[in-house]
Amino acid sequence: MSALAQERALGDWLAKGLRCIGQIAIQSGDDGGFVLRHREDRERTGLVVSQRADDAAELARFDDAGNYRPLKTAPTLRHGWKLRLANLAELRLALDLFYPGRLAMFAAFEKDELVTTPLRDTLGRQTGMYRIAAQIREDQTDELVGRFCASNGGCLRTIQWRRDAAGTVPSTQLPPDKFDPRHDQTGGAEPVVPLLCQEACNLLVAEARTVVQANR
Amino acid sequence: MPSDSSSALLIVGHGSTVNPASSAPTLMHAATIRGRGIFADVACCFWKEEPSLRDALFFFRDPGIREVYVVPNFISEGYFTRTVIPRELELAGAETERPNGQLWKYCDPVGAHESMTGHLLERARAIAPGVDESTATLLIVAHGTSLNDNSAVAAKEQAEKIRALERYAAVLNVYMEEPPQVSDWVNLTKTQNVVVVPFFISDGLHSYEDIPALLGIENASTGGESRAHELQGRTLFYSTAIGTDSRFADVIIEQANSFDQRKQVLQSAS
Repeated sequence: MSALAQERALGDWLAKGLRCIGQIAIQSGDDGGFVLRHREDRERTGLVVSQRADDAAELARFDDAGNYRPLKTAPTLRHGWKLRLANLAELRLALDLFYPGRLAMFAAFEKDELVTTPLRDTLGRQTGMYRIAAQIREDQTDELVGRFCASNGGCLRTIQWRRDAAGTVPSTQLPPDKFDPRHDQTGGAEPVVPLLCQEACNLLVAEARTVVQANR
Repeated sequence: MPSDSSSALLIVGHGSTVNPASSAPTLMHAATIRGRGIFADVACCFWKEEPSLRDALFFFRDPGIREVYVVPNFISEGYFTRTVIPRELELAGAETERPNGQLWKYCDPVGAHESMTGHLLERARAIAPGVDESTATLLIVAHGTSLNDNSAVAAKEQAEKIRALERYAAVLNVYMEEPPQVSDWVNLTKTQNVVVVPFFISDGLHSYEDIPALLGIENASTGGESRAHELQGRTLFYSTAIGTDSRFADVIIEQANSFDQRKQVLQSAS
């Protein structure tokens, strides 16, 4: 089986010097393998070593305080670990567990195939308990997205969707670089594989529902 | 039958924003299937976790992948399999052709597979070793009708199938939120030994806390173990959720196989 397109793309990004993704630093080994660790742990010793790509699921599941991380792109990745991976295929699997789906979004973006969905379309599509989320007002949306999606404390994704079909900015409370794929959302100012957000996540939809309910 | 070089598998799970164990079985089954090399690519997506179903629209962009089998890791047909998954994945029906010609095949949920009865029986035997089935009662526990799914109906059907085998003294479908209620197990059963199997995809608050509390178990195991509990003069054997069974990986593969087999039957009949 030939290497999947995703692995080829990942190899290209590494060759271009994109050595960080979210809060993770990617280090290449001499043996064709890779070592992942928290970017803030690069100078740290005594890290607990894991060897399997699937171990990434467990490393990504809880934060430093042991709290469950429902949003994997939240800036709450735990510290103190080092993950050794044998090859590019393993690296792809691990990164897909740390930041699910994000490699595919960047690959689609690079090929100009990333179709984004306006927030109003996402909300308007909902059924069942989330149907009322579409009733959120514009000022409430501006506040919610500005708070919930902020890189500092909310989410490290780079927003690519717009608020509506007219192209309204998702939130006036977010800085312009929140929408720039070249920007390192951690504030580290390093070349990154961006965590592109092509459509509002279910957590944001759920929060919109909560805002609407609170105003009833 | 999926072909290893041109077929991919997408396993769809519910996931949870509060329960870290919710997506674990789906991820575990995906890793198992990936390791077998049956598919060119294996991915998961979730309603309440990442990657989302919407993210999955951008997966499998390798031109060599011509078919994507979509298997819902759900217990039954219902709101999610009929409304949410088709809507979010933009599925037009059983088969959906994407603009690049890739064919997405929407398979039946795992809980609907014919092998489910056997899995429930095996789980029941495994958690109550040495117990004579003909003197024991088997309880299949589902949520009940407060959720928009048919898991209650599915549990009833499984109980009927197992009852027809006449192995257990009695087989009952019981629910958390509607009669016959799991909390009424003492009155519903007459045997000394009672074996309880939750008909759920993953362990979580329901199987770790809610159902044990309804049964009267004070210290339910949360380590994935199953053990016996002495309650009200009876011996109660309580299992983890059926969906945590490693053989569910086989069921997921089987559902992908079944899709093409069913299509062949339909084509030969027409």
